[in-house]
Amino acid sequence: RVEKYCLLNTQVMTLRAQKKYTEEALAATKRLLELNTELHTVWNYRREIFGHLDEWRDAEKKQALLEQELEFLLEIIMKNIKSYWMWNHRTWALCQLPSPSWDGELRLVAKLLAVDARNFHGWDYRRFVVARIREASDDAAAVDRSEFLFTTEQINRDCANHSAWHNRSKLLPAILSELSEEKRQEVIDKEVDLILNAIYTDPDDQNAWLYHEWLLDVQTTAEAKRALLRNKVSAIREFLELEEDSKRPLIELVDAFVAMDDLQPGLVSDAEKKECFAVLAKLRSIDAYHVGKYADTEAMLRKRWAAGV
Amino acid sequence: MYDELGRVDKDKVVGYVRGLQDPVTGEVSGDSWGEKDTRFAFISLAILSFFDSVDSIDVTGVVGYVERSMNYDGGFGSEPGGESHSAQVFTCLAALAIARKLEIVDRERLSRWLAERQLKCGGLNGRPQKLEDVCYSWWVLSSLKILGRVHWVDCERLCGFILSAQDPVAGGIADRPGDMADVYHTCFGIAGLSLAGFEGFDLEQVDPVYCMPVSVVERAGLRGWIDSRPESWKD
Repeated sequence: RVEKYCLLNTQVMTLRAQKKYTEEALAATKRLLELNTELHTVWNYRREIFGHLDEWRDAEKKQALLEQELEFLLEIIMKNIKSYWMWNHRTWALCQLPSPSWDGELRLVAKLLAVDARNFHGWDYRRFVVARIREASDDAAAVDRSEFLFTTEQINRDCANHSAWHNRSKLLPAILSELSEEKRQEVIDKEVDLILNAIYTDPDDQNAWLYHEWLLDVQTTAEAKRALLRNKVSAIREFLELEEDSKRPLIELVDAFVAMDDLQPGLVSDAEKKECFAVLAKLRSIDAYHVGKYADTEAMLRKRWAAGV
Repeated sequence: MYDELGRVDKDKVVGYVRGLQDPVTGEVSGDSWGEKDTRFAFISLAILSFFDSVDSIDVTGVVGYVERSMNYDGGFGSEPGGESHSAQVFTCLAALAIARKLEIVDRERLSRWLAERQLKCGGLNGRPQKLEDVCYSWWVLSSLKILGRVHWVDCERLCGFILSAQDPVAGGIADRPGDMADVYHTCFGIAGLSLAGFEGFDLEQVDPVYCMPVSVVERAGLRGWIDSRPESWKD
């Protein structure tokens, strides 16, 4: 098998060196890529060959060639769903197609993401497809809302799907910009509920808390930020009632108080400041991996809250 | 590293790299086929820095491209809109270091995100819920080094993990214990050991932007990025 591969590799590289852009060369590259999808030089060569074929100059024939190419890619994508080269080649093919089917591609990438929901190549490709759909659409806001809904579906399927949350974070600002102040707050409140739901499901998941923290940036008024932070502290206290040594909620408690203090000195009571130091001491004992970080946080807080603690 | 840069045609190389930047978006391609990725933001700036030609590219454009690739978690993705991934975090931080623009980084959020890449086994992963891999000993640790936060992970446990991924018969380091060793993971494993302060044998100090010995980077006059870090990072 290795011998067969090496022979084929030599054959293709020789054809390429000879600048052969024929059907025969095309077929040879296909056989080689079926064996090894990671040969980016061969993908490059294959694209060069296409560009030299007579059919390329006829829109209908070019369309047919590329549709066949997309079929070929679909056959081999499952061999290595994380191959940069295959996704790039697909992107190239879509950009070359006289009549691309963006909706078809959207359906396809939804299927692939169903197989591997965290595949960033898939998500990147989805954003590429959606951007084209958005460009061609006369209602870009509707496209945004539809994509937002897609992330909601993904999150409802698995609230720990960080790729979906990430994509959502890219869509939310655009969604909000379309709305009145009142409607904005409604959407943000719903968003807080959704992320709190994820947090309740897995309090140890840092990313959910990071998204919650980012929502703070999305809030426009100091009042709204304060409310969000108080809300966060209440949620944490609930977890800690169930499990008092739960690492992530403890870390987030300290971070919440720091954020409140950043927002407005005086928001954090002396009792709460004392609590921060007690929590940091506890964290040093239950999370040996991050003692360096806790030491830095404590030093920072001692400097900041020197008086009266 | 061999001090032989004089043998390279500087103008051709600089010209080639310049030609790969999109003049409108500032984004940098990997080659003529146009794949864009923040990896190339770093690689282009690194190459140009070897020839003292960083300004022959539109640096503001590159920095803008990197900044647009920053995410809600403080991390960086492969492109604007791309999910945070440790390898992209390294390339973006290193690019910003060379461009002298580290101040755009959300140091706190990113440090916290990076610190969580350490798993119970001591190894590091590339993003949440993924497996540990020795190469992240480089991507994550070099990022933390640039941020001045290597001590935010347990370096001893990390070293233990890296060493456990060695091939006890043939030598070399694999991505994780039991797998086949390869040069890529060996390089990044050793670089990780150096950054983690491993004292088991005499390791050269490694520069976290260039993944080369500090002595080489100093000789090439490329350590200036250290002094241009934001003041608050220099504690």
